[in-house]
Amino acid sequence: MADPVVVVRNLSLHYFTRRGPVRAVDDVSFELQRGETLGLVGESGCGKTSLGTALLAMPAPPGRIVAGRVMVEGVDILSLADEQVRRQVRWERISIVFQGAMNSLTPVLTIGRQMNETLQRHRKTPAAEARRIIEGSLRMVGLPPDVAGRYPHELSGGMKQRVVIAMALFLEPRVVVLDEPTTALDVIVQAQILNTIKQLKKTLDLSLIFITHDLATEAEVADRVLVMYAGRVAETASNEAIFGGGACHPYTKMLLAATPRLREKVSELAFIPGSPPDLLAPPAGCRFRPRCPVAFDKCGAEPPLSEIAPGHMAACWRCR
Amino acid sequence: MYLVFAIRRILNAMAIFVIEMLIFSVLFTATAERTLRAQIEESLQPEAARLKNASALQVQAFVAQRRAYLFHVSHLDQPVPVRVLWRAIDAVTLQFGNSITIKSSRGERSVWRIIMETVPRTALLFTTSIVLQVLLGVWLGLKQAQRAGGTLDRSASVITMVVYGLPTWWVAMIVIMVLAYMLPLFPSGGMHSIPPPQGLAGILDLAWHMVLPVVTLVIVSFWGVALLARNIVLSILQEDYITAARARGLPERTVLFGHAMRAAAPPLTTIAILSLLTSVFGNIIFEGIFSWPGMGNLYWISIEQGDTPVTLGLLAVTTGLYIAGLAMLDLIYGLLDPRIKTGASA
Amino acid sequence: MSGVEVPRNRRPEDHRAPRPPARPWLRDLFSELGREPAGVAGFFMLALFLAGAVFEKRLVTFPETSSRWHDITYWDEQPASAPPVWTNAFAARKSAVSLVLGPSLSSRETSDAARLVTTVFTYPYPYDLPPRDLVVHFRGTGEIPVAITLTRPDGAEITLDQEQVSAGSGMDVRISIDKSAGQAAMGLLQGSESADAMAAVDVDRIRPTTVLFSQAGPGMLARPQALKGAYKLTLLAVLPTAAAEVSDPRLVVTGRVNGLLGTDNSKRDLWSGLIAGIKWALLIGLLTAFVSVAIGVVWGVTAAYFGGPVNWVMQRIFEIFSNQPVLPLLIVISAIFKPSIWFLIVIMSVFFWTGPVKTVYAMALSIREETYIEASRALGAGSARLIFRHMVPLLIPYAFASMALSVPGAVVYESTVSLLGLGDATIVTWGQILHDAFTGGAVLGGLWWWVVPPGLIIALMGMTFSFIGFAMDRILHPKLRTR
Repeated sequence: MADPVVVVRNLSLHYFTRRGPVRAVDDVSFELQRGETLGLVGESGCGKTSLGTALLAMPAPPGRIVAGRVMVEGVDILSLADEQVRRQVRWERISIVFQGAMNSLTPVLTIGRQMNETLQRHRKTPAAEARRIIEGSLRMVGLPPDVAGRYPHELSGGMKQRVVIAMALFLEPRVVVLDEPTTALDVIVQAQILNTIKQLKKTLDLSLIFITHDLATEAEVADRVLVMYAGRVAETASNEAIFGGGACHPYTKMLLAATPRLREKVSELAFIPGSPPDLLAPPAGCRFRPRCPVAFDKCGAEPPLSEIAPGHMAACWRCR
Repeated sequence: MYLVFAIRRILNAMAIFVIEMLIFSVLFTATAERTLRAQIEESLQPEAARLKNASALQVQAFVAQRRAYLFHVSHLDQPVPVRVLWRAIDAVTLQFGNSITIKSSRGERSVWRIIMETVPRTALLFTTSIVLQVLLGVWLGLKQAQRAGGTLDRSASVITMVVYGLPTWWVAMIVIMVLAYMLPLFPSGGMHSIPPPQGLAGILDLAWHMVLPVVTLVIVSFWGVALLARNIVLSILQEDYITAARARGLPERTVLFGHAMRAAAPPLTTIAILSLLTSVFGNIIFEGIFSWPGMGNLYWISIEQGDTPVTLGLLAVTTGLYIAGLAMLDLIYGLLDPRIKTGASA
Repeated sequence: MSGVEVPRNRRPEDHRAPRPPARPWLRDLFSELGREPAGVAGFFMLALFLAGAVFEKRLVTFPETSSRWHDITYWDEQPASAPPVWTNAFAARKSAVSLVLGPSLSSRETSDAARLVTTVFTYPYPYDLPPRDLVVHFRGTGEIPVAITLTRPDGAEITLDQEQVSAGSGMDVRISIDKSAGQAAMGLLQGSESADAMAAVDVDRIRPTTVLFSQAGPGMLARPQALKGAYKLTLLAVLPTAAAEVSDPRLVVTGRVNGLLGTDNSKRDLWSGLIAGIKWALLIGLLTAFVSVAIGVVWGVTAAYFGGPVNWVMQRIFEIFSNQPVLPLLIVISAIFKPSIWFLIVIMSVFFWTGPVKTVYAMALSIREETYIEASRALGAGSARLIFRHMVPLLIPYAFASMALSVPGAVVYESTVSLLGLGDATIVTWGQILHDAFTGGAVLGGLWWWVVPPGLIIALMGMTFSFIGFAMDRILHPKLRTR
């Protein structure tokens, strides 16, 4: 039964720079079901990180959400006052693991202090109980409890990432947004972190939004995928549909083709020619048109995101 | 860990002091020796006068012998490099000899005593100013960083730029002209009225004399501290961990003070104290405008009167204090920054 | 010295050493500067200062100010410690203004014995406070008896002076009424004042001009009232021989207010002094800033580039220099060795270079890690080439900002040294003017025109460069910008 825990409708987020508004997120809509992991995929600059910040109503300055609704468990968080968002939404219902965990931790406070501070802010907990919760959550991500007494600079990159994940989970929010949680790490640690995430997903019954540019990681962790291009949704479907050959949007297809498979013989690396459009003044019509190999005259009009199969939506004239 | 760091820093400071004293010796040895020779000759005269029953030849021989002895004791009969070395050793061991004309309030001629008498007075003036500068400056800088780009920020920035090249001693002149001469509200100089009152009245009198110099110093200088505080806090507020803290639902106040200011404390403290340290030693002259009887004023007097031993002694003491100040700065920084306290990262 | 001195960045993280910009060229820096109001204001003021220095000879009222500042004869005609002329606009009682009068009437009579030259000067006097002096000038040759008479608006004719002038050929003769008309003034007083008032009078203390320009009558000594109107001063010269000659007569009125910015107690015109000081301030500031920042940048880059033992040695040397309070040392060196301005610049540069080093070092370290440096090295580029062609150019925008911000420091340091009377005595600097002001009692004497303008112009020069420097700084640290 469809049980959407996050519903985003017509969300637009613009960055108001000196040279004009950059339309980083333009009329994006999607849903996240309970217990599902949605992979948010796209090139650098496609708006996926901005979308992530919008889910916590925290666009990075000079960004502002200019339109749309973000419903978390039925509540439109964009309509709430700042104070309410801070108390009831952030970390209670939805938390985020930022890109570059190394920098998410305040360098002058110990891990334990930072976790305790967050804990006390949301639930007044007596000291002994608090310590128990903190140590428990550290153990859950595979870290020894004495990490709580350490400063961030004393930990390795992988350990810091785990700490940040522990912090994102220990208040047991409904939804966790993970923005490139493994990009800055070496492959081995990457694999460990992904395994941890998968385990936690199972044990805590989490709904995750997993932002990445790496299709391979996405395939490992997610159930559904949402492909973004130039601030808009290109295609969204279940992982099986996309990876099983059912991908329709040309961009998705080229992304898949560009990812080399381990067991295939590759004589030439495929790539997508051209570069993403300038979001200050995006081209009229379909934004992928300049780089699309199958563009035709109808592409002069912006294709709407429409259902082409049950649970499979694409924004392409060729897919209807 | 920290102890190792602290010891190394202190040893470093001492080494630098010794090397600088050596450099000073090389620079000033000729002048210092001239004065020394003159002083020795001067001391020989009363000795010679006391030989009443001796012949002229005997007196001459005696004086020559005494002179040779005194020269030897002061190492003036050695080759140049050795003399330079001895001067340096004198400076490092704080033996600055006697002044030519200046006397301390107790009539002493020992340069060290003369200088030491003035140090607490300078300390009083500048410490008061520094405390006020830091309080006002950090407060203003914080307010500027919170609403960066706003009216307060922009106007404060303009004023900071305006006072950047302002000589404090000139502002002092204006202040005296207006508030001590045209409107005789405050004394035009000195530390006490004459005769100095006692007890509580004495303290109030001292405070009254301190108002103009302190206010002048603070008004001109705290803008710089504010600018530094603003920049440091602003750049920290843009760090990822601040955004992460906000994402965790922490109220702005906690983020600002518990995280941003905490992280800002090490660089802020060092830079603020450093800038203040350099401004103290750059402003020391300004004491002379107020005739505040501290080290700065002593510079004026000793130069005016050509009392080189005092001037050179002052330079050595000033340099020593500066080096010590910088070392202390690093030690404080080490205490505040956990990255240094706990050693290198894993 | 102001609060924020030459920025001495101790730790790279403290100052948030920026990544050197990807497009660092000066053209970009200066074009961005056009958008910063502070930058524009700064450049405008800089243009004014440069114009002032270049057109000095035309702007000053006394063209030889630079070379003859310490020459008292050059300034002799000026009043001492006189406020600027425009203060008259705000004063209740107007003071006489300095001016030079040519003859309004000139005649010669020839008789058998001698020639008689009569020159009349008309001096309109509408003021309340009389001039300090009237000086009669002419070029004379030979033995010439002269007589000077004053005709007052109330009709009184007073002989001010009668004397025999001996002049070499064409020598400039000057007769000061203030010095010569004491008796004449006494005469006027005796004719008007009561006996009691006269008894209290001390001949030596009377200012002749005060008496001569006052209304005659009882009480003219105690409460002088100005006698306004046209005064005629007649110079009668007898030329006894054919060789004797008198020519080019002038009457110099030494006013009570003088000049655009008044005079100091040595009678020097302060406006001229300040203008003459511009070029020195610019020279001191710019030269020190340029040399010290250049050294600092090369030092930092070299230390970062080589690393290892070279870096260690360079760091130690750096520590020795940065652990020294510069101003006290500067003062002591000036006191003992009395250096010229050039030596002063050298000494300042020798210490100022430590300012930019830490930041430059941090920036250079990050540049060094760039792969194109490694690539260049692999291609066989030598160290000097890498340092100067690849690394230093990226730091030039920062160097410019650093230079701009160093200028005020250098100017103030030199002013401070001059304030103590230790400056280079052959030139005019603003600090020297302030030294003279302070030791001349201007502060406690309320001679504001002597104290305020020199300091103000130092402040303006400081502002010029701090505006430019901070604007550049803002461009280089875009994150600290908020617009």
